[in-house]
Amino acid sequence: MTDRAETPSAQSLVLEARGVTKHYEGVTALDHATLAVGPGEVHALLGGNGAGKSTLISIISGVTKPDSGKILLGGEVMPASGPLAAISAGISTIYQELSLVPALSVLDNIFLGREIKRKTLGLPLTSDRRSMELAVRDLAADFGVTANELHTPVSEFGALKKRSIEIVKALAFDPKVLILDEPTSGLEDAERQVLFGYMRSMRERGVSLVWVTHHLEELFGLADKATVFKDGRTVATVATESTSIDKLITLMFGADREEFGGGDTRKIAHLQPSSERPVILRARNLTRGSVVRDISLDVHEGEIVGLAGLAGAGRTEVVRTLMGLDALTSGSVELNGRRLSLRNSTAAYRAGLAMLPEDRKQLGILADLSTAQNISISRLSTVTAAGFWMSRRKELALAESYRGQLGIKTPDVNARIGNLSGGNQQKAIVARCLNTSPKLLIFDEPTQGIDVSAKVEVHALVRDYAANGGAAILIASEIEELLELSHRVLVLKKGQIVGEVRNIPAAIEAGEFARIKSEVLTLSAAGQAS
Amino acid sequence: MKSSSPLARIMAIRGMPMTLVLILTVVIFQVLNPVFLDGKTVGNYITNGIPIMLITLGVAIVIIGGGIDLSVGTVAGLSAGTTMFTLVQGAPLVAGIAVGCGTGLLFGLINGFLVAYMRINDFIVTLATLNIAAGLLVVLSQVQPLQGVSVPGFAELTKGDLFGIPTSFFIAGALFVIAQIMLAKTIIGRRLYAVGISSQASNVAGVSVPHLRLFTFAASGLLAGVAGVLLASRLGAVQAFLGIGYEFIAIAGAVIGGISLAGGGGSVWAAFVGGLFLATLQQGLRLNNVDPVYFSIVTALAIVFGVVFERQVRRVILRAALHRTALFSTDQPRATEDESVVASSEGSNNNDK
Ligand SMILES: Nc1ncnc2c1ncn2[C@@H]1O[C@H](COP(=O)(O)OP(=O)(O)OP(=O)(O)O)[C@@H](O)[C@H]1O
Ligand SMILES: [Mg+2]
Repeated sequence: MTDRAETPSAQSLVLEARGVTKHYEGVTALDHATLAVGPGEVHALLGGNGAGKSTLISIISGVTKPDSGKILLGGEVMPASGPLAAISAGISTIYQELSLVPALSVLDNIFLGREIKRKTLGLPLTSDRRSMELAVRDLAADFGVTANELHTPVSEFGALKKRSIEIVKALAFDPKVLILDEPTSGLEDAERQVLFGYMRSMRERGVSLVWVTHHLEELFGLADKATVFKDGRTVATVATESTSIDKLITLMFGADREEFGGGDTRKIAHLQPSSERPVILRARNLTRGSVVRDISLDVHEGEIVGLAGLAGAGRTEVVRTLMGLDALTSGSVELNGRRLSLRNSTAAYRAGLAMLPEDRKQLGILADLSTAQNISISRLSTVTAAGFWMSRRKELALAESYRGQLGIKTPDVNARIGNLSGGNQQKAIVARCLNTSPKLLIFDEPTQGIDVSAKVEVHALVRDYAANGGAAILIASEIEELLELSHRVLVLKKGQIVGEVRNIPAAIEAGEFARIKSEVLTLSAAGQAS
Repeated sequence: MKSSSPLARIMAIRGMPMTLVLILTVVIFQVLNPVFLDGKTVGNYITNGIPIMLITLGVAIVIIGGGIDLSVGTVAGLSAGTTMFTLVQGAPLVAGIAVGCGTGLLFGLINGFLVAYMRINDFIVTLATLNIAAGLLVVLSQVQPLQGVSVPGFAELTKGDLFGIPTSFFIAGALFVIAQIMLAKTIIGRRLYAVGISSQASNVAGVSVPHLRLFTFAASGLLAGVAGVLLASRLGAVQAFLGIGYEFIAIAGAVIGGISLAGGGGSVWAAFVGGLFLATLQQGLRLNNVDPVYFSIVTALAIVFGVVFERQVRRVILRAALHRTALFSTDQPRATEDESVVASSEGSNNNDK
C-alpha cells in the first residue's frame, strides 16, 4: 500500500488509469496520463480544448487502444477488448458527440444490444417492448421524453432532445462507472438540474462518476474531486472543496491564462445600441406549420438579440426558416430593406446571413475536409483567384489567421477536421461564419464544448462584430451566457413570442442580473400548464 | 512529425495500391505473352478501353458528390446509336458528334433534374433512365440499321493517329485533365467533395446542393455521350444492346480505383487507374486465349478482389510503416472509431436525398 495522502488506497479504487499514452499523427493526445477514481465519487475531468479528456474516456470505454499504459477496473487490469467488454464490465459512457441511430426509435436506441427478450416458441426472439417501456418510462419522463416519444425515431428530434435520450440510455442500466463527456452541452437549466440530481443519487448508490465539463461553476457542491489535464498530461488532482474556479483555470491554462483576463466575461463593457439605429433584419409573421407561429422581430444594427425558451419552444426552428433551410408557410423577411427569397441557404448566405448550427457533428463540420477547407467553405470567394480557382495559399493564410485568433489547437490546418477535439471543431465553425462577413449572424449554441478561455474569445468576437455595425441573433440554452451577450431577449414558447426583456446590459450594469434572469425564466415557463 | 517512411506516404495516396496492382498485372501479362506490350497492341486495347474509362470518370464524379448514376452504360449505347443514326442520314460529322454528346447531356440533365429538384432517389431515377435509354436504342435500331457510315474523319476518331498516338487518346486525355483540374482546383470541385461528405452539413454551410447534384449528373451524361460517339466510331456498327452492363464495369472501376461509394472521397486518378485496370485485364485474358465466356466472371472476381485489396493493403501497409515510427497509432480516423461504438449516426448524412 502506498502512502498517498489524498487518494484512497489502490485497492479501493474503482477505476484507475496508469501511464496512459496515446499518439496521433503529429499530436500527443495523452502523455502518461493518470486518473484515480474512488467508489461513490463524482470525479471531474478538466482541461482546455484538446487537452485529451475525450481520448482518455474513449480509451477507458474500450473504443480506442492506448499506445501504452493500462486501465484498472476494481484493481484488475482491463483487457483491451473493445467497447462491448467495457459495457458489460459496468462502464456506461455518454460520448461528447451524439451517437444514436437515427432510424431507430428512442426505445430501441436505449436498449440497443441489450433488449429485453420475450420467448416466442420457446426462444427469446422478440423484444418485449412493453417491459422495455416500463423499465425506462419514469426515467425518460424526468428528462422530458414522453411515453409517446419513446416510439418515435430519433431522427425526428433536435440536438437537445437527443442529448436527453443519450442520458436516459446511459442511466438505464445501473452502471458501476458512469462516464459523462460534456453531458450538459446544449441542455436547459432545468434539465441540467435534473441531470445533476441523478448524478447525486447515483453517487449515493455507490456509482463512480467521471464527468467532463467546461462549466467550472457546476463543479461545486457536486464534484468531489477534479483532475486537470493540460496537453495530454495530468497536471493535478484536487478536492473541489479546497479549490476555486480561479485556481482551476490556472491549472488548466498555466501561464497562458493572463491572455484572457481570467474568464470573467461579465465585466466587459457592453454598449446598448440605440433603437434609432437602422433595422438590419425585419421578419414579419413567420409561420411554419405549428412549430413557428406568427413570429415578428426586428434586429437593429449593432444589436444582439437573444432567443430564450425551453426545449421545444421553436428557437432553432425560427432561425432555420430565416436561413431558408426550412420552408415557411407564410411570412416575409427583409434584410436592409430588401426582401429575402428564403428559398435556400445559398441565397441566405449571399444576402448576408450566416448561421452556426446547433448540432456540430451532423450539421456543422464536414468531417473529411481539412480544418482550412471547413473554414473557407461558406465563402470560397475569399480564397480564390478570379472567383473560381482555389488558391491554396490564400486558404492557408485564412485558416492560420483564425487559428491564431481563436486558438484552434491542431498541428496542421490541412489535417482532417474530424480528428480535432470537439471544442476545436466548434471554433473552426465559428471562424467559417465570421469569414462570410455577414450582415446578420445567427449563432445557435455557439460556445457548446468550448473551453473557458475560448469562450471569452468567442464572446469578444461576437461583441466586436456587433459593435462594428453587425447584427446577431443568439440562441444559448445557458441563460447566463444568453444574458451576458444579448441586448434584448425574446422569449419563445410553442413557436410563439411570449415576452421580451429589454435593456439587458444596463440592467446587468445596475446589478440586476438575478432579476432579469428570473424574469426570463418565468416568461419561458409561463402557461406551462396549457 | 511527418517522419513516416516513403512507402507509407506513397501508399496513403488514394488509388496508389491499385496503381501498383495495375503495373503488376501488366508485368504478369507481359511475361505470359510478350506481344502484350507491343506498341500496336497496347494502343489497340487502350483505345478499346477508352469509352469505358470515360464512363467510369462520369460515374466517379457522381459518386464523389454522394450520388450514383446507373444509366451511364445504356446512355452511352444510345448516344452511339443517335450518332450513327444522324450520320446514316447523311449529316456532317460535327452534327453526328453533337447529337451523340447531346443525347448524353440530355439524359444527364433529366437525371439531375429529377434527383436534385424533384428529390427522387437517384438509384430509382437512373435505373429508370437506364431502361429508357436501352429501350430507345432498340427502337432506333429497328427504324434503321445503324451501320455503314463512311463520313470522312468519323472512323479516324478512334482509328487514326497523331504522331503515332491514337486520336482518341487526345480526346480522353483532355477530358481527364479537365476533370482533374475541375475537381482539384476550382470551387466546383471543392463544393462537390463537401456535398459528398455530407449534403446536410453542406446545405447548412450555404453550399447549393441541388445545383451541384444537377452538375454531376450532367457531367456524367455528357461523358457517356462522348463515350457513345467513340464507341460508334470504333465499332462501325451499333447493335441494339450496346452499353448494357457497362455501368457495372464503370462503377466497379471507380470503386477499384479507390473511390468510396459513401461519397466525398476519390480522385480522377483513381477513376483512371480503375478503368484502365479492367481494360488491361480483359486484354490480357483475350491475348492468353481465355474463353470470353469467362471474362465477366473473372472481371467480377477482380472487382471484389480489388475492392478488398484497396482497403486492406492501405490499412496493413500503413500500419506496419507507421508502427515503425512509433509516433503513429494504428487507429483509423475518429469517425470510424465512433462507428464501432454504436451502429453510428453517420448514415443519416445522405438521407435527405
Ligand atoms: N482520431 C484522431 N486523430 C488525430 N488526432 C486526434 C484524434 N483524436 C484526438 N486527436 C487529437 O488529440 C488531442 C486530444 O483530443 P481530445 O478529443 O481528447 O481533447 P478534449 O480534451 O476532449 O478536448 P475538448 O474539450 O475540445 O473536447 C487533440 O489535439 C486532437 O486533435
Ligand atoms: Mg472532448
